Amino acid sequence: MAEPATELTLDSASLLAAEEHEIAIVGRSPWYLAWRRLRRNWVALFALLVFVLIVLACALAPVYAKHVAHTGPNEVHAGEKVIVSGKPKEVVGGGSFYDPKTNDFVVKPPEYLGPTWWHADGRFVLGTDNLGRDVAVRLLYGGRNSLMIGIGSALICTFVAVFLALLAGYNRGWTDWVVTRFFDLIWAFPVLLLAIALSSALAVNGFHHFGISIEPGSLWIPTLVISYVLIPYIGRPLRGQILSLREKEFVESAIGAGAGPLRVMFSDLLPNIASTVLVFFTLIIAANILTEAGLSFLGAGVRLPDPSWGNLIASGEDQIQTAPWLSLVPGIAIVLTVLSLNIFGDGLRDALDPRAKVRIEH
Amino acid sequence: MTARRRGTWLLGVVALAAGISMMVAAYGVAATRSQAAPQNAQKSVGTLKAVLDTIDFLDPQQAYTGQSWWAMWNVYETLLTYKHVDGPAGYQLVPGLAQSLPKISSNGRVYKFTLRPGLKYSNGKKVLASDFKWAIKRGFLATGQGVGFYTDIAGAKAYAAHPTKGGNISGIITNNKTRSITVKLSTPRGDFLTILALIFAAPVPANTSTAILNGTIPATGPYRITGYDPNRGFTMVRNKYFKATKYIPRGNPDKIEVALIGDANTATQRVISGQADYSNGAIPPDRIANAKSKGNLVLRQTANTYYFWMNIREAPFNKLKVRQAVNYALNRATMQKIVWGGLGQATQNVLPPTYPSYKKLTTYSYNIAKAKSLITSAGAKGAKVTVWTRDVSDARDAAQYYTAQLNTIGLDASLNILPRATYYSTVGNVATHAQTGWARWLEDYPHPLDWFDVLLNGNRITNTDNNNYAWYTNKKTNSEIEGLKKSQVLTPAVNARWAKVEKEIMAQAPWAPWSNRVFPEFFSKKMGCIHVQRLYGIDLARLCRK
Repeated sequence: MAEPATELTLDSASLLAAEEHEIAIVGRSPWYLAWRRLRRNWVALFALLVFVLIVLACALAPVYAKHVAHTGPNEVHAGEKVIVSGKPKEVVGGGSFYDPKTNDFVVKPPEYLGPTWWHADGRFVLGTDNLGRDVAVRLLYGGRNSLMIGIGSALICTFVAVFLALLAGYNRGWTDWVVTRFFDLIWAFPVLLLAIALSSALAVNGFHHFGISIEPGSLWIPTLVISYVLIPYIGRPLRGQILSLREKEFVESAIGAGAGPLRVMFSDLLPNIASTVLVFFTLIIAANILTEAGLSFLGAGVRLPDPSWGNLIASGEDQIQTAPWLSLVPGIAIVLTVLSLNIFGDGLRDALDPRAKVRIEH
Repeated sequence: MTARRRGTWLLGVVALAAGISMMVAAYGVAATRSQAAPQNAQKSVGTLKAVLDTIDFLDPQQAYTGQSWWAMWNVYETLLTYKHVDGPAGYQLVPGLAQSLPKISSNGRVYKFTLRPGLKYSNGKKVLASDFKWAIKRGFLATGQGVGFYTDIAGAKAYAAHPTKGGNISGIITNNKTRSITVKLSTPRGDFLTILALIFAAPVPANTSTAILNGTIPATGPYRITGYDPNRGFTMVRNKYFKATKYIPRGNPDKIEVALIGDANTATQRVISGQADYSNGAIPPDRIANAKSKGNLVLRQTANTYYFWMNIREAPFNKLKVRQAVNYALNRATMQKIVWGGLGQATQNVLPPTYPSYKKLTTYSYNIAKAKSLITSAGAKGAKVTVWTRDVSDARDAAQYYTAQLNTIGLDASLNILPRATYYSTVGNVATHAQTGWARWLEDYPHPLDWFDVLLNGNRITNTDNNNYAWYTNKKTNSEIEGLKKSQVLTPAVNARWAKVEKEIMAQAPWAPWSNRVFPEFFSKKMGCIHVQRLYGIDLARLCRK
């Protein structure tokens, strides 16, 4: 009589499973697993939703301006009156005036129209600034500019950083040395100071070299400047990761099989750093939005009268006592955007590689 | 608790007690000291702490801003000066370094002065008659900003073409023994006495370097400058070699510490918090009422005009209709409110109302529809325009409004903001091809020539450092201005001619003037003896503590 099968082998296990109608084990890609982890992270998803809503709202700025507020971002309405809850109110009222009886000026602060909260048929929902411009419209258009610069510069920065990191990490030797020194050169300067210097240099005449022509007021100037100064902040960690991957067997075997440098870089190395790149990209958008806000606040970013969140805060500084919303509202917008991106980025990092510690440090 | 820990704890308590005791003692000393301070030392100021928003230079042959002149008026005396009094009497010329007003020849071309005896610089050296000549030559050698005022001195133009240290300006003859200075003009100038009172003509020791010397040139006034720190500040202390005259007081403050603070909020807060006694910087409009309650706000009406120039050489402003349209597009009353918080008076004139030749112009009432139709009929709809302005809050605000209005009437305008330091030299350079932009003029001296000859005489246009930003030239008005230069006295008839020139120029609309600003001067409540000199502003020499 044969001994009962007490050892569980692969054959016996699959027979048992088939008998019990178990579902066969299906392999899942790392991306799917990451998505499953991410979708359990309610906080990250909520943050993503907030960011998407902000982007949508800013993208719809022209619609809001035309159909709701009935004004553009740079149109001045000082000197006009608006009906708020049935009563006419001056857009910019108060202020000092000359009294011919006393032959002197009566000193009074100006009064800017505060938030009307939809009591003026959609006009001046968040009030006006000192020139009588609609704050809500400028906030949305400012967001468009800030987000375009933030996301655009993140794309350029990431693309260039990945390319340089691949070059340096794969080739090593002289190429690595040159690229690393390039990173060091940029990294030696404080980010904001370097950005201010570059922006100021291009502010008057723009950029007209190598067949590229960019006018002084163009958004490309802050976009390119910010992408340039933040390249090392992605490039260096990626280079390190690629140097480590370069020593793995799968790379050696690809090279041994006759794969060319470009093939190895883009087919073998790049997919293995994709998750890192994705996380960096998300986090660098937040960093770039903050850098743009800082540059514009200091007058070296988006040029007036075009709004950006940073220059809106700066413009509101002189009215901080009587109209604090002028600086507060764009400040809150920046906080919400950057916070939501950072929270989502953290969640994405945890989902893609729970073991990795990926940070962007200034 | 271990013994060691106990010891550490006790040490901490002792240190805390000692610190608190020291603080209480210090407060007590301070309180006692303030109580012991003289209650009624009206003329004693000790150290005056002032805040200026900016200066350009502290070199008499270079400085050309109101702030720099505010400081240097009491440092570098000129042959003639202005009375240290309030009101229109402050425009009266009186002897400064000169013994008396000059003898002027009947043809108005020769001016004879004698220096006061015993004059010394702050380094103890004698002030010589020849030092005046050296000052004028130095201005030409260093290409000072004021040299254009002195080109009518005989021989000055030839000297300016090839200036050398050893070269001569034949129209200035000096004699150090007799202390005499004779100035001969190639053509008579009605404003020449006022030109001699400009700080550009302040004598400096012979062979003083032509490099820019900020605050190191020996002084002739009641104060001298020490410790100049660029972008941070400077100090003025008494000049021990200065002797007060009937017209130039000794000065009340012993020492004046000036901080340069560009940010209006910071400057205002300094006075409110007691860290400064006086600030001449702009006060943000929404803080003015607050400043008034926390300190002493003095409103100074000085001769100034804020305007937008339009370069008649550059399209679309080469068309009269476009320039007129721009004038119609500005709501000047609203601009006073949004830029100054109401501390300004709307104007369409070149000259401010303080001038006897002022006749109010009201040609361009606010009319957007008319402005739009003028733009359309001029064929300028959609024309690209760059508006230039400098990076100062009031200039930015005014230019943003201006740009918005240009867009409203059908032009395609954008704004270009330049740093304060380079603004005027950039827009005054023909190579920039600047179309339109912000500007202001504060009078150098009280004469219409200071406005029309400098800013709107086509004969005075230069390719660089040009002050006629509109590049305005018109044969008729040019020749009228040249003719009026010869009038020595501003009689009613002469004033009427100036008013006519102004009307003719504004009919061509090279400018869109919009404001005569009222300047807020902010003092702490402790300050008294606040006097406003018409030309130089707050007379720091006469400030005192209450």
